[in-house]
Amino acid sequence: MASILINAIKRLHVSPQIRLCSLNSAAVTTTTANKTINILKKEWEFPPLYTKPREVWIENLDSVEEKKLGLIELHPMVYAAPPRIDIIHSNVIWQRKYRWVSWAHTKTRAEVRGGGKKPWPQKGLGRARHGSIRSPLFRGGGVAHGPRSGKSHFFMLPFHLRLHGLTTTLSAKLAQDDLHIVKDLELPTDESQYLVDLIENRNWGPSVLIIDDTDYAPRNITAATDNLLHVNIMPVYGLNVYSMLKHDTLVLTQAAAEKIEEKLLYHLHSDNRERMKKFKIDQV
Amino acid sequence: MGSRQITEKSLSMLRSLPRITLANIRDNPGSKITQKRGRGQHGGDKHGAGNKGSGQRQNYMRLGYETGNNPFYLRIPHENYYRGHHLKREYPPMTLLELQKLIDRNRVDISKPIDIASLIKSGLYTLNPDQKHFGVNLTDDGADIFAAKINIEVQWASEQVIAAIEKNGGVITTAYYDPHSLFILKNPQRFFETGQAIPRRMIPPPDAIEFYTSAATRGYLADPEKISQERLKLSQKYGYTLPNLESDPQYEMLTDRKDPRQIFFGLQPGWVINLKDECILKPKDEELLQFYSM
Repeated sequence: MASILINAIKRLHVSPQIRLCSLNSAAVTTTTANKTINILKKEWEFPPLYTKPREVWIENLDSVEEKKLGLIELHPMVYAAPPRIDIIHSNVIWQRKYRWVSWAHTKTRAEVRGGGKKPWPQKGLGRARHGSIRSPLFRGGGVAHGPRSGKSHFFMLPFHLRLHGLTTTLSAKLAQDDLHIVKDLELPTDESQYLVDLIENRNWGPSVLIIDDTDYAPRNITAATDNLLHVNIMPVYGLNVYSMLKHDTLVLTQAAAEKIEEKLLYHLHSDNRERMKKFKIDQV
Repeated sequence: MGSRQITEKSLSMLRSLPRITLANIRDNPGSKITQKRGRGQHGGDKHGAGNKGSGQRQNYMRLGYETGNNPFYLRIPHENYYRGHHLKREYPPMTLLELQKLIDRNRVDISKPIDIASLIKSGLYTLNPDQKHFGVNLTDDGADIFAAKINIEVQWASEQVIAAIEKNGGVITTAYYDPHSLFILKNPQRFFETGQAIPRRMIPPPDAIEFYTSAATRGYLADPEKISQERLKLSQKYGYTLPNLESDPQYEMLTDRKDPRQIFFGLQPGWVINLKDECILKPKDEELLQFYSM
């Protein structure tokens, strides 16, 4: 463990990150050594002040081999947020708990059948005094303070922890090279094997979560992922911390990456006092 | 959340560490403290609750209860000046210094008239109309350094405040809003989503009519000519030269006022604001027009 850390520290080279952002540029084409690269620059409503935008390759899905179609700039507030493992953890705990209803159940001494009669007289036998054979002290008796069914573990994580949970997880995925951006989800075939080969070829982890900005994915990719239980498709509104961690690799379409960025930036910069209020289950 | 250098460093560190999965995340050490019942020689005796009685049984008495005495809050007779305190109007204060800070930090837009809605929208002033709050009382703290030219509408203001604003070439109006109008102004979006028509603003109650019709307090029901006389009088009293409104480039903005029946700038009573289709529905029925024009 110590050697891993030392290696990690050796590899660190934090370059000065301060620069002024050019805001008024769209697609820039850079020609380097007979190759053209499309760099998609964006105009954000809240541009990053002290950091460079993250530049990520846009890849393709229409061939097994990887082709780089261009570069996209991503906002560092969303895709390079501080990697807070504790916030990720609290999100995972919340996602496990809020839908968990515990059905474990035991009977109390009143619910166990029988036990109405005093087992033996109070005095004169030299035995301990007892009023019921179903008391928790008796074998076959009721359980004191046992679990009662239908116990809800629902709670709501504070709004900003949910918000930062998403930015932190996205940033951690990007920092660990587990986040890839693809142009679109068009596949040339509906064979599952094609997708398996593609994942193998690009060294994506076996399990892949694909996020698109619409509910309807193209037919080929739907058919191809149908039999692959470890490759799943999800719309942007379903994006969550638990699923991102459950899958090794996160694949966003370009539109999805932009939509996630736009929505998270909106909430990071707006007045959220209404959303920050204490959550009530019976709120109207 | 942390400095940028630390963030960059930890992200590049993460790059050479194992992948974060459901199996290797944990909370910050020590972030969760579970309460344990003390055991053993010193912790276990009474578990910290003391010996006998109310303390040991952790029977916390209700507030003000004096174990059978005639409690203080009943022993002291009712003071006459509290009569009707539950009906009195309250105006939560905001100082001129706070207003100046809002302006300096771009929390309010001074190129438009400022009203209670824009003060609440700044996020640094809160109002609870259900607790008999009837609007903002602009107080004179920081009057000597107030330096913005604004057109502001408040619910209560003192003479010094009026002088401080008018000295900078600004305009101040005191206007009454009934609690329902204030609820609407506090969160306009929530009201518009209900799909109701914007109601008329109610006229002030009898005991407030004098304040809001007086030109000296810049009441919204006062005669405009008397107000301009009072502006001149106040400038002479406090010894500043009154900037000329007519020659001001922002004359249009500075003379913008709400109708006494109007709640929002630019929106008339009776209109329905459809946020979904982004359109305004205006009444056409003769009876409705007559009702809302009154």
